[in-house]
Amino acid sequence: MSRVVTWRALVAFGALAALPALPLASKYYLLLAFDALLFGAIAMSLDLLIGYTGLVSFGHAAFYGLGAYATAILLERGVLSVWACLAGAFVVVSLYAAIVSYFATARRGIYFALLTLVFAEVVYTFFRYTQTFGGSDGIQGLPDAVLWRGVPIDTPERKYYLVLVYLAVAYAVCRVVVTSHFGRVLVAIRENEDRARFLGYSVQRYKMAACMISALLTGLAGAIYPIRSAFATPDLMLWTESGEFIISVMIGGLGTLVGPILGGVFFTLLRDKVSSVVDWYFIVIGVVLVLIVLFMPKGLLGLRRLVGSRPWRQAA
Amino acid sequence: MDYLVAVLLPQLLHGLVFGAALGLLALGLTVIFGLLGVMNFAHGELYMLGAYAGIAVIGLTHSFWVAMILAPLSVAALGAVTEIATLRPIYRREPLYGLILTFGLALVFREGARQIWGGDMRRILPPVTGSTPLLGMTYPNYRLFLLGASSVLLLAIWVFFTRTRAGVLVRAAVQDAEMLDGLGVNVPRLFTLTFAGSAALAALAGLLLAPVFTVYPQMGVEMILLAFIVVILGGMGSMGGSVVAALVIGIAQSLFALWMNPQRVAIAIFGIMIVVLIVRPRGFFGREGVLE
Repeated sequence: MSRVVTWRALVAFGALAALPALPLASKYYLLLAFDALLFGAIAMSLDLLIGYTGLVSFGHAAFYGLGAYATAILLERGVLSVWACLAGAFVVVSLYAAIVSYFATARRGIYFALLTLVFAEVVYTFFRYTQTFGGSDGIQGLPDAVLWRGVPIDTPERKYYLVLVYLAVAYAVCRVVVTSHFGRVLVAIRENEDRARFLGYSVQRYKMAACMISALLTGLAGAIYPIRSAFATPDLMLWTESGEFIISVMIGGLGTLVGPILGGVFFTLLRDKVSSVVDWYFIVIGVVLVLIVLFMPKGLLGLRRLVGSRPWRQAA
Repeated sequence: MDYLVAVLLPQLLHGLVFGAALGLLALGLTVIFGLLGVMNFAHGELYMLGAYAGIAVIGLTHSFWVAMILAPLSVAALGAVTEIATLRPIYRREPLYGLILTFGLALVFREGARQIWGGDMRRILPPVTGSTPLLGMTYPNYRLFLLGASSVLLLAIWVFFTRTRAGVLVRAAVQDAEMLDGLGVNVPRLFTLTFAGSAALAALAGLLLAPVFTVYPQMGVEMILLAFIVVILGGMGSMGGSVVAALVIGIAQSLFALWMNPQRVAIAIFGIMIVVLIVRPRGFFGREGVLE
């Protein structure tokens, strides 16, 4: 097997593809699985930036939300093709991401985090107060998207497979990126930016490219969301949403790709389970986050190493 | 002329009042950033808790003035405990962890406040009522008091950092904490006390602004974004820069509110920041290479 397609990945995706066949897989659980995998895919895209390049983006919710709005606007206007929605999201998100990454990658560390945050807040404010796009209610009651003529994505199974295919594609893209020379330069930048620069790499260009890839993958994930939920609201772009993406990456383990997927799944399930029991689930999530930072900074995959099982193969 | 006195002047004063209080908030953020390298995401929640602690104290004692002393003290105590329990163990780690840790703390504080005090809007009655004729207009007394109190506090902070031994130690720790440790100063205690001080400032800002705004669990979220912008504009780690930027943002915000609807004001403020960062990438007073 190649470096990109591993047996382990094939088995994992095979198991996920068999999930709807389980007797437990009710409509509710399939849609929960959709949310979990979508969150995992976003966390994985963000890991490309945080874990591999060492840039913490606090503005990924804007990419996500822009993608969602692109789909929602197209569906609302009667353009039902999934491909058109994805293409629309691609264009919108890449335009916005180009601007953000140009300005944000010019600065390091905290500045990068805050600049991405402020840019995202501009987008949030714009959609929150623009009545053409529904203001704070967003765009509601969207029709089902269509994959091909006569194949609407209307059942939970089809929606689930849509997100699964997306996750597989996004995972493949991320693997290609991190195993390539490009990916190694990103790690070099994370480890020592000045040294990478002295070696002759145009650090900002590499950072911008990493930022763009991560943003586009997140934006396309956003484009899928309204196909499941039939709405897009400005709350998708709130900066606390970006925080939740970061939490998922942290829970899973920085710089592992697989970890953040697990982190996103874990976070979604935790939120769903805890919020159905108590209404103060934010306290639980906040405490979990604090405990992770304090006691297991390497995340779930780090824990695996901690309890002494077979060491996880070093990614990148 | 009428326009000037009736519209422009009060709005300018509003901006100054708000800017001064925002300065208190941003100052604490800047000092903590300079000292610990942590951009404190929970700062807005300390501001919110200050207002709620004020409501609690006023409920017990019926005095705003007692609240002005007790609320910041209790939030400072909470800040000190939080610092010792969570931030101290991660001093030597990457700043990223501090950012994420304080984000978690913010979630806990915000939801905690909602559980204790409920989610509805509350108000604190201003302790000073009435208004004073000023430059041809009348201006509410409480806002004048707010401006005075903030200015006195800002001045006191300036004196603290330039004239007292403790203040000089804090500034020394910003420069080189390790060296200070080597000279025999108890640096961890210094960090904890500074964090408590910054929490107290945030709480005081929250309490002072409460009679002007409303009190609700999410009130910190919007303020913290503004405070971040102020810190970036002023130049990371520059205390003077923070105060100047806070006044600029405060005044800009209230002047913009005259000519555009409130929603566009937020975008305009972000616009200012982006323009400033293009022209002066390190903000008003940021120096090259500091904390990058």
